[in-house]
Amino acid sequence: MSDIQQYLLDCDRNKREASSVAQRSAARLQTPDLKLLTLIEQLAEYCNSEDGATRAKTMAYLAEVLGFVPQKVLSLQQRILLCDFLLSRLEDSEGLGPCAKGLMALEERGKWDNERVVKIMETLLAHTSPLRQYKQQSERYPVLRLVDTLMARYRDALRSHHEASTDFLSRFIAYFDGEKDPRNLMVVFSILKVPMAEWNIGAEAQELFDAVFNYFPITFRPPPDDPYGITAQDLKDRLRDCIASTPDFAPYAFPALLDKLDSTAMNTKRDVLHSITSCVVEYGPRTTSLYSITLWDALKFEILNVQEEDLAHEALDGLAAIARTLSQGTSGPLNAYLRPIIKECNEHLEDAPTKQSEASARILHKIADVSAEVTNILLAGILPNLFHLFQTAETMAKRRGLLEVLVQLIRANISVYGDWRSMGTDGEQAANNPLAQYRDQALEIMVNGLETAPVNEVSFRLVCLEGLLQLSKVRSLLSDESVGRITQLLHSVVIHEEPYGKNEIKEASIDGLVEIAHQKPQVVVDKAFPAFMAQLPDTDVDGSKAYVPVLEAFAKLGSEDKIFDTVILRLKNKFSSAVKQNASSAYIIALLSAILYALVQGANKLEQNPESSTYYQDIALPLLQRTSSSDASHPEALDDETTLDLVGRICSTIIRSRSVHQQNAIATELYTLFRATPQAELPPFNPNAPLDTHRSMIVSTHLLASFRKEATLPCELQLLISSLAEYVQQPSLSNAVRAASLRQISLVINKFYPTAALKTCMDPLLSAPMQLFNQEKLDPPRIRLIFACLKAILLRSSPILSTLYPSLLSFLAHPQHGRTVAHGFATLLQPDDLLSKQNHCLISGLHKQKTFALLVPSITQAFRDATPENKPNYLVALSGILKWTPFDIVVGEVAVLASLLLQSLDLQREDAVKEAAIGTLTAVLQERASAIEEHAGSLVARLLANATATATAIPPPKVRVAALRCLTLMPEKMKLEVVLPYRKQVVRRLTAALDDRKRGVRGQAVRCRSRWLGVDEVGDEDEDE
Amino acid sequence: MDNANPTILNPSDLPSRRADSSLKTRDDGGTGLFDNLIPHYNYLSDPFDSPVSPSDSEDDSLEDIDAQEIYDLISSISDPEHPLSLGSLAVVNLPDIHIQPPPSPRSSISTVLVEVTPTITHCSLATVIGLGVRVRLEQALPPRFRVDVRIKKGTHSTDEAVNKQLGDKERVAAALENGTLMGVLQKMLATCE
Repeated sequence: MSDIQQYLLDCDRNKREASSVAQRSAARLQTPDLKLLTLIEQLAEYCNSEDGATRAKTMAYLAEVLGFVPQKVLSLQQRILLCDFLLSRLEDSEGLGPCAKGLMALEERGKWDNERVVKIMETLLAHTSPLRQYKQQSERYPVLRLVDTLMARYRDALRSHHEASTDFLSRFIAYFDGEKDPRNLMVVFSILKVPMAEWNIGAEAQELFDAVFNYFPITFRPPPDDPYGITAQDLKDRLRDCIASTPDFAPYAFPALLDKLDSTAMNTKRDVLHSITSCVVEYGPRTTSLYSITLWDALKFEILNVQEEDLAHEALDGLAAIARTLSQGTSGPLNAYLRPIIKECNEHLEDAPTKQSEASARILHKIADVSAEVTNILLAGILPNLFHLFQTAETMAKRRGLLEVLVQLIRANISVYGDWRSMGTDGEQAANNPLAQYRDQALEIMVNGLETAPVNEVSFRLVCLEGLLQLSKVRSLLSDESVGRITQLLHSVVIHEEPYGKNEIKEASIDGLVEIAHQKPQVVVDKAFPAFMAQLPDTDVDGSKAYVPVLEAFAKLGSEDKIFDTVILRLKNKFSSAVKQNASSAYIIALLSAILYALVQGANKLEQNPESSTYYQDIALPLLQRTSSSDASHPEALDDETTLDLVGRICSTIIRSRSVHQQNAIATELYTLFRATPQAELPPFNPNAPLDTHRSMIVSTHLLASFRKEATLPCELQLLISSLAEYVQQPSLSNAVRAASLRQISLVINKFYPTAALKTCMDPLLSAPMQLFNQEKLDPPRIRLIFACLKAILLRSSPILSTLYPSLLSFLAHPQHGRTVAHGFATLLQPDDLLSKQNHCLISGLHKQKTFALLVPSITQAFRDATPENKPNYLVALSGILKWTPFDIVVGEVAVLASLLLQSLDLQREDAVKEAAIGTLTAVLQERASAIEEHAGSLVARLLANATATATAIPPPKVRVAALRCLTLMPEKMKLEVVLPYRKQVVRRLTAALDDRKRGVRGQAVRCRSRWLGVDEVGDEDEDE
Repeated sequence: MDNANPTILNPSDLPSRRADSSLKTRDDGGTGLFDNLIPHYNYLSDPFDSPVSPSDSEDDSLEDIDAQEIYDLISSISDPEHPLSLGSLAVVNLPDIHIQPPPSPRSSISTVLVEVTPTITHCSLATVIGLGVRVRLEQALPPRFRVDVRIKKGTHSTDEAVNKQLGDKERVAAALENGTLMGVLQKMLATCE
C-alpha cells in the first residue's frame, strides 16, 4: 500500500497515526528511496477523485509531508514546482486550508521572490475571495496565517504591488469582509494594520477604516471553557491599534466614535473614550488640532455630569492627552484648545460650590498637569477671575468652592515644576514658574482665611490649610520666611485653638507640619519647636493637662526622618527636667509615651546603623540607671508599674537592633540594672528581696525580650528557669510583676534553648519536687506557669507538644480548676507583643496548624464523653483556640465544630466565649456558608436570643452587636431558599433590637433588619441582571 | 433632570455625632494618640481573672434616640437624580428634625417630624424623596415612633399638595405597591448604612 493510501485510511480513524504516515513519507524523501516526482504521481489519482473529501485529505497529506520535510531537502526547482502545483489547486473549492498550510511550509523552507509573492496573493484573491464563503474556521485560519506571513515578511513586494495596481487594495480589503471568528479576527486586524500604518491609502482610507470599525464595539464574550484564551480585551486592543494607526482615519474615526459616545451601554462608552485617547496620541498634533474643540465639547459632559466614575476618569485622560499632543506642536492650536476650556470653567466658577464647579476643578487639575506651557496658559486664564470672584463672593461656601479649584491648580503646578526635594516633570524650570506672579495674593487670602474664619467653618478652613500646605511645597516659590509664617499658623492652631467638632483642623495642621518638615525641616525646627516646647512645662504642679495635645502633636513630628533626632532630643531633655522637678507621674507617663511613640515611628531610623547610634548611651542607659537607683536621684514616678513598662519598652526598642556584642554588655546587668547589689540578692533569685526591687522585673522582661538569641544570659539557663518558676508562684507578687515574670519564662524557653535541648527542657519542672503536671497539686499559679511554658514551646512547633497537650487536656475535667484551665486556652494562640519575630523569637510558620491539629479533634472527642458539668469547660477551651486560629485552618473541621459552636451560644455567664463563638460562626458564614446551612434554623434562634434581652439575661452590648452582625451576613451568604423561611421571624424579633439601650446596637440592628427585609426581593434582582 | 447642577455641602460641614461625644470622653483634650501605643494584647491582659469587662458597667447607661441619630439614618439616602446623599445636598438638615416625646405619661408613642428641603422649588421628585425618608424611618425606628415627613414650608411650589400625599396612609401604602416606584426607592435606600 502506498503512503497516501495508508494516510487516507487512517485519516478518519486516528489523526495521530495519519500524521506519522506523513512523517514517514517525509523521511523517505531524504533518501533515494522515494522521489518527489513519484510521491506527486501517487497523489494524482486522489487529487482528481470525484469525492471532494478525498481531494481535501490528499492535500492535507501533502501539506503534512511538506511540514515534516527537513530544511534543504527540497531544491529551489522543486519548491517552485510544488508552489505552482498548490496554487493550481486553489481553483478547487475543497482543500483550501491544507493548500495554505502547504504554502506556509514551503515558505519556511526558502524565501520567495517578489513576483512569486504577488502571484500567490493575486491567485488567492482571484479564486478564494471573499474568504467567508469557506464555512469552516479551520479552512480560513491557515489562509489568514499565510497572508499575515506575506504581509510581515514581504512588505515591499506587496506595497509596490499596491502602488502599481489601482484596485488591489480594495480587492484586498474585501477579501476579509464578514469574518466573525475571534481567532481569525485577531489575525485580520494584524494583517490590515500593515496597509493602514505603512501604505499610502489615499482614496481607500474610508473603506479600510470601515473594514475594522464595523467590529466596534467588541461585544465578544469568550465561552466558559475557551481553549484558545482570546479575551474580549485582546480583540479590543488590536482593534484600537487599527483605529489609531493612521491620521488618515481622523475624518472618519472621530465622528464615528463620538456618535457611539451617545450610547447607553457603559462598556461601549468606555471603549470609545479609550479609543479617542489612543487616537489623539497616535494621530499627532496637526490632525488632533482639527478636532480638539469638537472633542472637548463631547468629552466634557462625561465629567460635568458624571454617570460612572471610571468614565469620568477616562474622559479626563482623553482631555489631558489632547493637551499633551498639542503641546508637541505650535502654540496656536494649543491656545485654541484651551480657550473654550478656560471660558467654560470660569463660568462654572461663578456659581461655586456646585457639582460642576467641582468638575471644573478636576478638569483643570488634570490638564494643567500636562506640561509647563499648559499650566502657564491655564493659570493666566483662570486665576485672575478666580481671585476676583473670591473677593466679591457673598458666602463662605462659594469661597471654599473657589479655593478648591486653586488647590487643584497648585497641585498640578507642583507636579510640573517640582517641590523642594525633587524636580518636576519638566526638569529644572522653577525660575519660570508663573505661579510666582500670584504667590502673594494666594498666600494672603489663604492665611487670612485660616486665621480669621470662625472655627465652625471647618471645610473652608481645611481648604485654606490645604492650599497653604501645597503652596509651601512648590519648588523655590515661597521664601523661608513665608513658609515659617505658614508653620506658625499651623502650630498655633495645634497649640492654642479650642477643640471643635471632629478636630479635623487640628489633625490636618499636625499632618501639615509633618509634610512641611519633610520639605523644609529647618524652618519647622526653628519656628514650631520653640513654640511647642514653651507649652510643655517642666513640672505640672497645677495639675493642668493642657500639655497632652501639644505632646501628641510634637511626638507625631518625629515621624519625619529629617527632624526625628531633634524631636527625640527635646523630649528627652524635657523628661530630665520634669524628673528633676518632681513632676507628677501622669506627666512623666505622658512624656515617656511621647518618646516611645516617636521611637516606634522612627524605628527604621534606629535600625539604620545600630552600631554607631547614640540612642542607647543617651536615652536607654540613663533611664535604666534612674530606674534602679535607690538614692535621692530616684524619681518617685518611676515606682509606678505603668511607668516602668514604658521605660522597658523604650529601652527594648533601642536595644533590639544592637549587635550581640553590644547586647552582651547589657545582658550581664539584666537583673542588677547597673546597681551595685549582687545578682543573687535580687529577684528572681531572691524571693525575699526588698519590695521595690520586685518592680524592676518589669524592665528586665523588656530587656530580655529585646535580646538576640545568641546573647549570653547572666546565669546558667536551668538555674534561671527554676528560679523564675519558683518566683512566679509567690503569692505576694503584684499582678503586673507576676505577668512580667511569667513572660520571662516564655522568652527564655523560646529563645535560649537549642532545638536539641527543647525536648527535655520541661523535665526538671515535671519531675519532683515541682511535678508541674501533677493533677493533685494543680492550682491557679501553676496553671499560669504551665501555659507560659507551653506558649514558648508551641511557637517553635516542637514535637514534645504531642506528649504535653494530652496532660493539659485531661486537666479540663479537673473538678475544681477545670474552668480556669479552660480559660487558659485562649492564651495559647493569642498574638503577643513580646514573643514576636521582631524580638528575635523563634516562631514556626506552622505553629497554629500544629496546635489546632493536636488539640481540636481531641477536644471535640472529649466533649462527647464529658459529664454535663464539665462540657462547658471544653466549649470554653475550644472557643479560646478558635478565636485566634485563621479561618483557612478551621475550614476543614467546620462541619464537626458547628454544633459545638452553637452550643457555646447557650452558655451562661461566659460572654467572652459567646463573642468568640459568634466570631467564628461569622467567619464560617463569610468563607464557607454552605457548611452550616443545615443549622440555619438553630443559628437564627440563638443569634436572636443573643441580640436581644431575654427573660433570663441581657447579653452585654458587644455580644449583641456581634450577634446582629453575624445575623446580617446570613441572607448575603446563604441560599435564598435557606433563609427565606426565617424572614418573618427575624424581622419581627428585631423590632425589639431597634429600641436597644445602646446606639451602636441599634445601628447594627437597622442594618441587619433592612438586609432581612430585602430577602424576598433578592430573587427579583437576579432576574433583572 | 430637574436640577442638573445642585449646590453640594462638604462632608466636613455636615453634623455628626463624634463632634460632641469625643469631647466628653477625653477630658485631657488629646486625641488619644498614645492609647494604642501598648498593644491591646500585652502580657498584662490575663484571661484568668478578668471576666468583668468595663463595657458591662457601661451597659446601664441609656442612650436615647435623638435628632442626630435620625439624621444619620436618613442623610445617607441617595438623591434619585444625582449620585449624592440627601445630607450633602442639604435636602435633610439636622435643625429640621424634631422629636416630640409622648403627649402623656400613659402613652409611649413619640413622634418624629422631618422637614425636607427640595433643591429647587419645582422639584418634581419631592414626593419620592419624602416617601424615601418615610420608608427608611419606618424600617429603622422602633414601633413606638410615629413618623411624620413633610416638605418644609415655602421651599416648594406645591408643598401643601405634596404634604397631603405624604401624610395620607392609604396613598402611601398604594404608592409602595407600585413596582417602578419601589425600584426607585430601593435604589435610593441602597446607599444607607
